[in-house]
Amino acid sequence: MKIEPFGQSAVLISFENEIDRAVHNKVIHLYERCKRHPEFTFLIPAYQSLTLGVDLNAIDLTNALQFIQQLAQEEDLSQTLRHVRKITLPVCYAPAFATDMPQVEALTQMDFKDIIQEHQTHSYRVFMLGFVAGFAYLGKLPQVLQVARKATPEKRVLAGSIGLAGLQTGIYPVDAPGGWQIIGRTPVSIFDASKDNPNFLRTGDEVSFRAISEDEFRLIEIKQEAGIYEPELEKDA
Amino acid sequence: MPKTIVTIKEPGLYTSIQDNGRTGHQHQGIPFGGVMDKESYHIANQLVDNPIDTPVLEMTLKGAIIEFDKSCQIAITGANMQPSLNNEPVGSYTTLNVQAKDILRFGQAKQGCRTYVAIRGEWKAKKWLGSFSAISQMKDHKNIPCALQAADSFSVEVFPFTEQRTYPIQKISLFSNCYVIRVISGPEFHLFHSDTLLNFFDRTFTVSTDSNRMGYRLEEKLEAYSNAVEKISSGIIPGTVQITHDGQPIILMADTQTTGGYPRLVNVIHEDIGFAAQMKPGDEVRFMLVNPE
Repeated sequence: MKIEPFGQSAVLISFENEIDRAVHNKVIHLYERCKRHPEFTFLIPAYQSLTLGVDLNAIDLTNALQFIQQLAQEEDLSQTLRHVRKITLPVCYAPAFATDMPQVEALTQMDFKDIIQEHQTHSYRVFMLGFVAGFAYLGKLPQVLQVARKATPEKRVLAGSIGLAGLQTGIYPVDAPGGWQIIGRTPVSIFDASKDNPNFLRTGDEVSFRAISEDEFRLIEIKQEAGIYEPELEKDA
Repeated sequence: MPKTIVTIKEPGLYTSIQDNGRTGHQHQGIPFGGVMDKESYHIANQLVDNPIDTPVLEMTLKGAIIEFDKSCQIAITGANMQPSLNNEPVGSYTTLNVQAKDILRFGQAKQGCRTYVAIRGEWKAKKWLGSFSAISQMKDHKNIPCALQAADSFSVEVFPFTEQRTYPIQKISLFSNCYVIRVISGPEFHLFHSDTLLNFFDRTFTVSTDSNRMGYRLEEKLEAYSNAVEKISSGIIPGTVQITHDGQPIILMADTQTTGGYPRLVNVIHEDIGFAAQMKPGDEVRFMLVNPE
């Protein structure tokens, strides 16, 4: 673990330089410990790092570095995560939503049916919320689904779109520009500005995908508008 | 309390309501946001004796035309956009009394980039996650404040007039077309080759037209620089200077996204972020490495 100042009022804590659940567990444990302390004005948990804002009126940077070191030693950061939320996201992989499927078929040399099957087979960790309004970065993708980003990003990718890029699969929370290869769309509202926690997903969640028809897509949309949609969510003991 | 309705007749290039932003929501990927030039923001509110965190209007390069339906007190700070009230020139950095139906008009900034208008009183406008600040990259969300368009309006519950104040002229920051920005080393500083570092600190960069509240792109690329290795994405903050794979520096500003994958070369020191916020496309900038103390 490396702890260093980042600018004059933030601290960067980095773990092993890899994308892996075991490394990310450390980030989450330290994030959970630090977020209880008001000295830290903001927290950005990422794949293998945690960025913390420091309230310099409460603690100076040198003492903050020591304090974080101390917090990190108070528990075993490597232990597995508890109370993980397991979310199943319905995804419609129909051509109308899977705008880049032909490209992904060409890149992976797989049939779209196998791509959809493979995408649903695994469970993915939410490693990070970032980009715009909490774009969810999930991983890791099995090797067969790892494709490069588009050379030229699209100006507008619609909210709910599910994309592939390198080791990651991601969900667009709002309409945004982007270069991920889009293979489907979820009708579930990922970002709701009327809520205190506008993002449905949280860093550390485990997400799997379930293929749905276009009819079920519409049905879920209608249920959401009526406020009667129940997310498919269970919590680990 | 009397209320003045403030109507944007013409928005100018990019005019938005801003305050201190949304620090504390970055784990959700929400940008920090808030005013770009904090010093000009604070002075504007002081001149109308507002609480320090009262929102202001922030205008960019070309200012707005604004109508007030009731009398109120305002103050203008930041870049000089030749303000006039009912076509009579008015001063900046001083408390101004505005009468009902007055029209405040701004032109173009010759030096500096951003101008602030404080209005004495309590602002009644759209607020999201504790802040009035518009988020430039999030349009079309009914709960989230966005940039002001022609005919948009908001209201301010006007406090009784306070005594007129003028900010001392010798203390006003002078904006030019040429900036030296002080920086401290960033997380990936040590990964850069010494030739690249020398090149970064030796040369003068030009602010690109592809610059906005999210960040300043600089036109010149670092010489003989290439980096094909994608770094694992990590937190980024306003003031971070990152280097793209083809060597272009980007100074991240208030509306920056919260994570990024480019190496973080340096961070602009707090004292100079407001200065950096006043750079406009075409301005020249150099970086000076300083000790964090």
